[in-house]
Amino acid sequence: MGKLRQQVSKWMMQNLELPADVVMDLPRITMIGQLHIYIENHRGVKAFSNEQLKLKLKQGTLVISGREFVIKTILPEEILLEGTISSVDFEND
Amino acid sequence: MKSKWNNNLKGYVRIEIIGQESSSFINTCIQSGIQIWDIKPIDGDRVHVSISVPDVQRAKAILKQNKLKIRIKEKKGTPFLIKKMWKRNGFILGIVSFIFILFLLSNMIWNINVIGANPKTEYELRKAALEIGVKKGKFIFLLPNVREIQRQLTEKMGNVTWIGVTQHGTSYRFEVVEKEIPKEKQITGPRHLVATKQAVIHSLFVEKGQPVVTVNDYVQKGTLLVSGYIGKEKKPELVSAKGEIFGEVWYETKVEIPLNTSFQTYTGKFENRHYVSLFGLDIPIYGFSDGEFQDKTETLNESPLYLAKWKMPVSYIKKEIRETDGVKRSYTKAEAIEVGKEMAKKELLKKLPEDAKIKGEKVWQQKVSNGKVKLTMLYQVIENIASEQPIPIQQGE
Repeated sequence: MGKLRQQVSKWMMQNLELPADVVMDLPRITMIGQLHIYIENHRGVKAFSNEQLKLKLKQGTLVISGREFVIKTILPEEILLEGTISSVDFEND
Repeated sequence: MKSKWNNNLKGYVRIEIIGQESSSFINTCIQSGIQIWDIKPIDGDRVHVSISVPDVQRAKAILKQNKLKIRIKEKKGTPFLIKKMWKRNGFILGIVSFIFILFLLSNMIWNINVIGANPKTEYELRKAALEIGVKKGKFIFLLPNVREIQRQLTEKMGNVTWIGVTQHGTSYRFEVVEKEIPKEKQITGPRHLVATKQAVIHSLFVEKGQPVVTVNDYVQKGTLLVSGYIGKEKKPELVSAKGEIFGEVWYETKVEIPLNTSFQTYTGKFENRHYVSLFGLDIPIYGFSDGEFQDKTETLNESPLYLAKWKMPVSYIKKEIRETDGVKRSYTKAEAIEVGKEMAKKELLKKLPEDAKIKGEKVWQQKVSNGKVKLTMLYQVIENIASEQPIPIQQGE
């Protein structure tokens, strides 16, 4: 069932020119240099420390690493992180 | 970002959360709708978080469930700022009262100077000013304006010609020009009495001297009336002639009376409107009706407020609206002549000395042209025509 839905969504995205993050519930990530990272459509905080933020996604985990992290704003589906970001990784588990 | 301002306004606290599972606390907060922001990890088990005041209690409950400790580090935002300020209320009270007192003091009269008056007039002037309310320590904005003070003072003070009132900041300055009442000169030297104008002698009253003219004599200006030489012709004695010589003098007065005149009078109805002027913008505060007068005149009275020597952009304006009435007056020819006679008489009396009497009057000429009645009146006046003329004493006789 899930597989079918995912395929339908993918098809809609490719043929109807709908934005992928809306159709497929994917995170939308906006970065301003190394200073800010803005993530929409997350599913909660897994772990948070000075150097690392792990965010739950619909599928897998987003790992942001860097230095001097501060969560400026956090809302149910949005998060704004400040600091010096060095890497953004997707982990599929 | 908009909520930042809101948070600042409502007040928030910065708390420290001590414990291992801080991320689960964050998640629970988000799910239960508690807003948290500025989450900053300090080390392994300590996190600093900002949270709004009303949410603190709920957050404490969640923290208990997660077995985390809480410590309040800082209180921020307006409510706490106000509390802090209130603790130092003396300071703020001081600032406010300082400005207030400075404001009051710079709108007070501090000095009244009187220039050009002798001590007696100065005392009277100060007394009159006091009655109007001009005295040390009075508020300037409660007083009538300078023009009005000047008018009232001039009315009250009979023995001065003119009072100039100027206001320099907190001091008033009265400049006084006193009436100079000339003292009668006591000429004791030898003198004649001569005629001041062309006249027919009506009566003589000579105290000293030798009258030269008699009743019904016609004299020219400068004619000798009473001689200062008395005694024998060969050995005359010099005296100071004294007396009153009344003569009949003819005066000619011309008046013009328009048959139709229109002029404006106040009906006595008026409306006052009060404004506070802020940066040139007049805000009405009291009195909103224009009186709905058909004809009206408006006068503006502005009294600005001062802070120290600076004029504030705030001033109080009183606007007086008075109803006027256009009145038309028309005379018939006979009425116009009557009025003309009255006017001519009044005008003549102004010119005559007090002891003069009008013996008779005559309409000499009357003409109606261009809607006007032109009158030439002749008056027969009995007045003192004598004036002193000193006799030069020849030296070396």
